[in-house]
Amino acid sequence: MTWVIKLVLFICIVPSAVLLFAIGFPKNPEKKKMIFGVRDNPKFHEDGPAVKVKAIASSCRKSALMITALICLLSIILMFLPATNLTMLAWILLVFAMLLIAVPFGKGNVELKNLKKELGITRSGIVYTDLSNANVIHSLKLPWIILPNAIALAGAIAAVLIDFGVFGIVPAVEKYALTMLSLSLLIVAVLFVPIAVMMDNTRNMVISKDSNINANYNRAKKKTWADLMIAMSWTNALFLTAFVILFTFVNNDIITLIGFLCYMVIIMAIVVIGAKNQKNVENRYERDTDLELQDDDDNWILGMFYYNPNDTRLNVEKRFGYGGTVNIAHPAGKVIMIVSALLVIFSIAFVIWSAATGHLENIGSGI
Amino acid sequence: MIIKIDEYSDVPIYMQIRNQIVMGISSGELKGGDQLPTVRALALEIGINTMTVSKTYQLLKSEGYIMTDRKNGARVRENIAQSGVISDENKTELRRIVSEARLSGVSKNELKKLIDEFY
Repeated sequence: MTWVIKLVLFICIVPSAVLLFAIGFPKNPEKKKMIFGVRDNPKFHEDGPAVKVKAIASSCRKSALMITALICLLSIILMFLPATNLTMLAWILLVFAMLLIAVPFGKGNVELKNLKKELGITRSGIVYTDLSNANVIHSLKLPWIILPNAIALAGAIAAVLIDFGVFGIVPAVEKYALTMLSLSLLIVAVLFVPIAVMMDNTRNMVISKDSNINANYNRAKKKTWADLMIAMSWTNALFLTAFVILFTFVNNDIITLIGFLCYMVIIMAIVVIGAKNQKNVENRYERDTDLELQDDDDNWILGMFYYNPNDTRLNVEKRFGYGGTVNIAHPAGKVIMIVSALLVIFSIAFVIWSAATGHLENIGSGI
Repeated sequence: MIIKIDEYSDVPIYMQIRNQIVMGISSGELKGGDQLPTVRALALEIGINTMTVSKTYQLLKSEGYIMTDRKNGARVRENIAQSGVISDENKTELRRIVSEARLSGVSKNELKKLIDEFY
């Protein structure tokens, strides 16, 4: 049965690593609006700087490609190794190793910022705001995100009641695995709602002097985010419900694990489609862009972390990856960042502790 | 209507917003009765403190360009009071502009043309 768990981990790791690489390190970054989190500048396209930009981009892309290839290769090797404490530890550490793909991105960001200084490019400090669109462009319909997550909550409550034998319809399911699984999916569901609301309330970008173009562009962008979160919420809710039924009436481990495998594949597919839709929106409106966008590169640490004490906004659009991030200078942003960092540190510590105490190799037989 | 804020300008942000709203009303981009964003929405959109936007709206209200009420928020006034005189402050500003233009070799006619264009 461990092969199914390995397959689940493989499906989590390999496509995510490839997707991170594809989004962060496109083939011709010099043709994009943003190069490693640094806004494109006309000076980057002059003879001398263009060569430098190309060299920085290709060196960082090569490093990222090597890290991605190594992660994929290790995943393939681990697929064929027996499930021991050490191999399971390696699997889970590989999940965190995906963060390493961001390292060449940060390096590229620093090098490009240095190049900007060399070229004497200073930030303009110009901010555009569209009076007609301020806080009126939204695409998220709240009931559509609340309904699936309410179903997920009901499913999780049912799972706990069944697992603890409160519902006497079937004998209590062993080892509270159903509770663990449903609560994990519920945590994901609980996160979807604030993330969706946050993305729907991000600041509207002003790309044109025409308010209608700005409104349509921001509406289209927010619609892709809203659709992504709603699709993920429904997938989450439907699978949670399916798991409760499977555990209760079929209770076949292999079917459950295959179900989980399908869940991961569908989530991955939704993320890929969402990223593609977002890219289509950007391409569609590229020719309508007639305003120079604000140069706030200095507020982006390594092109990934937004720190701007003069900005009162909490959420901003990401520059690496897809979606949004928080302003670390904002009090709530500080809390979110610290909690996220602690979560990652504690997760890694927990995995190492589990491996040291011999709990990891029982993952496959524990369900 | 697009507002352009220069974070490095010597002109305070509240004044930059005020000036552009006034120019928008004058050019017809903002018409009488047009709804302005709420203080919070505009502050969030620009990424500035709500007090700054509030100060702008209070100034615009005291100058008679907009009206605000709890129910409808801020709106451009339908009938802006026309005193028919240029304020002392604006006269001083105009004098400075004319002086600088003369020193730069700009002719009176060119300056008049510009006034015609902006008026």
